Amino acid sequence: MNLQVIGCSHHQSSVATREQLAFTQQQIKPFLNNYYSKFPNSEVVLLSTCNRTEFYTVANKPNSVPGKSELIEFIAEQRGIAATDINSEIFIHQDRQAVEHLFSVASSLDSMVVGEAQILSQVKQAYQLAVETNQTAALIHRVFQSAIRVARRISNETEIHTNRVSVPSVAIGVLAKQIFERLDNKKILILGAGEMAEETLRYAIHEGGKEFTIINRSIENAKELAEKFKGRVGDWSELEKELAAADLVISATGATKAVVTSDQFDRVAEIRKQKPIFILDLAVPRDFEQSISDRLNVYLYTLDDLQKECERNRQSRQSHYPQAQKIIHHEADQFFDEIQRRSSGSTIAQLKRQADDAKQLELDRLMKRLEGVSDKQKSEIEQSFNRLVNKILHPPLKSLQTESPQVSGGLLEALKKLFQLGE
Amino acid sequence: MNWLQNISITCFAASYVVVFILEISRVFFDISFRKYVRVGFAAAGLFAHTVFLVLQGKLVLGSTGLWLGSWFGWCLATAWILAIAYIWISARQPKSVIGLFLIPLILGLIGLGVGFGHENEFRSMKAKSTWSMVHGSALLLGTAIVALGFVFGVVYVVQSRRLKHKSPQPKYFRLPSLEWLQKSCEYSLIISTFLLAIGLVSGIAINWTHQADGTLLVGGIIAWSNPVIWSSGILFSWLLLVSIFNFCYQPSRQGRKVAYLVIASFLFLVLELAIVWWVGHATTSPESDVAHQTQIQRSLEERPSAVGRLKL
Repeated sequence: MNLQVIGCSHHQSSVATREQLAFTQQQIKPFLNNYYSKFPNSEVVLLSTCNRTEFYTVANKPNSVPGKSELIEFIAEQRGIAATDINSEIFIHQDRQAVEHLFSVASSLDSMVVGEAQILSQVKQAYQLAVETNQTAALIHRVFQSAIRVARRISNETEIHTNRVSVPSVAIGVLAKQIFERLDNKKILILGAGEMAEETLRYAIHEGGKEFTIINRSIENAKELAEKFKGRVGDWSELEKELAAADLVISATGATKAVVTSDQFDRVAEIRKQKPIFILDLAVPRDFEQSISDRLNVYLYTLDDLQKECERNRQSRQSHYPQAQKIIHHEADQFFDEIQRRSSGSTIAQLKRQADDAKQLELDRLMKRLEGVSDKQKSEIEQSFNRLVNKILHPPLKSLQTESPQVSGGLLEALKKLFQLGE
Repeated sequence: MNWLQNISITCFAASYVVVFILEISRVFFDISFRKYVRVGFAAAGLFAHTVFLVLQGKLVLGSTGLWLGSWFGWCLATAWILAIAYIWISARQPKSVIGLFLIPLILGLIGLGVGFGHENEFRSMKAKSTWSMVHGSALLLGTAIVALGFVFGVVYVVQSRRLKHKSPQPKYFRLPSLEWLQKSCEYSLIISTFLLAIGLVSGIAINWTHQADGTLLVGGIIAWSNPVIWSSGILFSWLLLVSIFNFCYQPSRQGRKVAYLVIASFLFLVLELAIVWWVGHATTSPESDVAHQTQIQRSLEERPSAVGRLKL
């Protein structure tokens, strides 16, 4: 099997190149169809995410997959760009390297944020689209099914996915859960309607949050966000009242100074009667004065606090990297052994059949010439022929099975040529 | 079922020690099957504990009519209730290491029971009355729940302090959420107040019955000035006040305050039990028995109506 991957990723390509090569879901199928028109003897998978665009091409026969320059020309033509513009930023991996790369990508070891869970579903989606385009893509099945299995194994056997690494996920998925048992009965107050507020709110909803109020200086943005998530819009003038009622506050305004001062919070605290409150101040500069965190039953976390936690988790994930890599090497070995067994299996069967046919032919001819041979003697002669064939075939077959895939691949080709075996 | 007779304290104490070691190991590394081993050992310990209490500890009314037998039985029965609570918590909060705080208490109670030994058995006559049964059961359950509340309170303080100081959560050292702990503290406070109230009222009822009715004089009358009476009164008043305070004043049932209240309640309870033990309430010893009998005799001579009833 000949496998290669050509593409670009956040490791070696600029954002500009990645943007030029990025495909939307709608663009992938037409691209794959065009590919099959031009290179009908190979199979292809196109994986396109915000951090990478990779073309996996695979074929059984040698020289059936297009070369790097040939493929770059084709891609450039499809994207309407000059091949020379992207050539230097494109990487290529072949055979074992390509398999290990795919395993690493699917397991998110190659991701910008190691351990992120999204990439596996993106790989699955790319595989699904490839199969829909070419339903006889047997090699793609073999490679991608293995990649998905390896990704699951790494997820189960290492802790590379366990610790959260993004600020909103740490804030809600880790910290809020240490304060609140559940979020569905909590009042969530969102100050600001920007990207960070939205992302954190998304996590809060994912964790069960239902009742939330959005307050923003620009009421339009607040309304837009509230409509999107079916929340309520609050009035900025009633900030203290809303704070008094809230259990969880997500604050990410673009204000240039604190929007909740210590004095303001004292008034809020009076109404709250020491009811615990978890405040996520994700704004820079901070929205809540630092002294507020000294109040009883107030848990105030700033962006810095959360980023420290994220960094710790990132390091923890990195510590599992060698273990995951070991699994990938082991699985790649297994993958090629399996490929070898499958491809040599048919050749071995063919060789045995050819030898058996020759043996039977000679045996029949001999039996016709011999006269007065008893059944017992006939059986002896037949067994002797069988032993002879087996003894002749045993050494080459044993070498084929015991040698490394690289060596046995060559042997297999030699065997096919020497014994004139078909494909 | 002869083998059941061979179950000793070592059997269940050893099981709990294994559970404690497994709880400690949870702080350092993670193994998927450990939770099954841990709960399995806890369940095995609880089974042995139950058998021991039934067969050896005289938990049920036997021919001798002893209720919980002695301080030894009392400690072991409290530990037994806490062991049940441990299994319940393991199911409710499987990821938290609350057992690290609870198991030492269970082991401590078993150790205390062994330290007391079988001496100072509770008085048999007294144990036969229904009031005494209610008195003993309510106080036993109340004690266990106050102890449980203490554990929740301590864990709350640890978790709250960690979150307040933004200390990173150790990888495997997970504790329940503050909300869950706060609710547990509140419940333990309310339930224990209720149970200790029943215990106290039934105790008063027993004493009253003793004074009014000579038939139960063998159990002895406790003077109202006895330290047991007034310390129990103080404990109950404290719990009642805390509960009323909790009900009327919202901040007291929020966050860390409720945790401090249950911790304080536990300390009160320990003090109360120390007083009870110190004055030898509800227990007899060979020396005190003689004195007791003399006192009863004198009392009977002074109260002819009671003599009549006793003779009947």
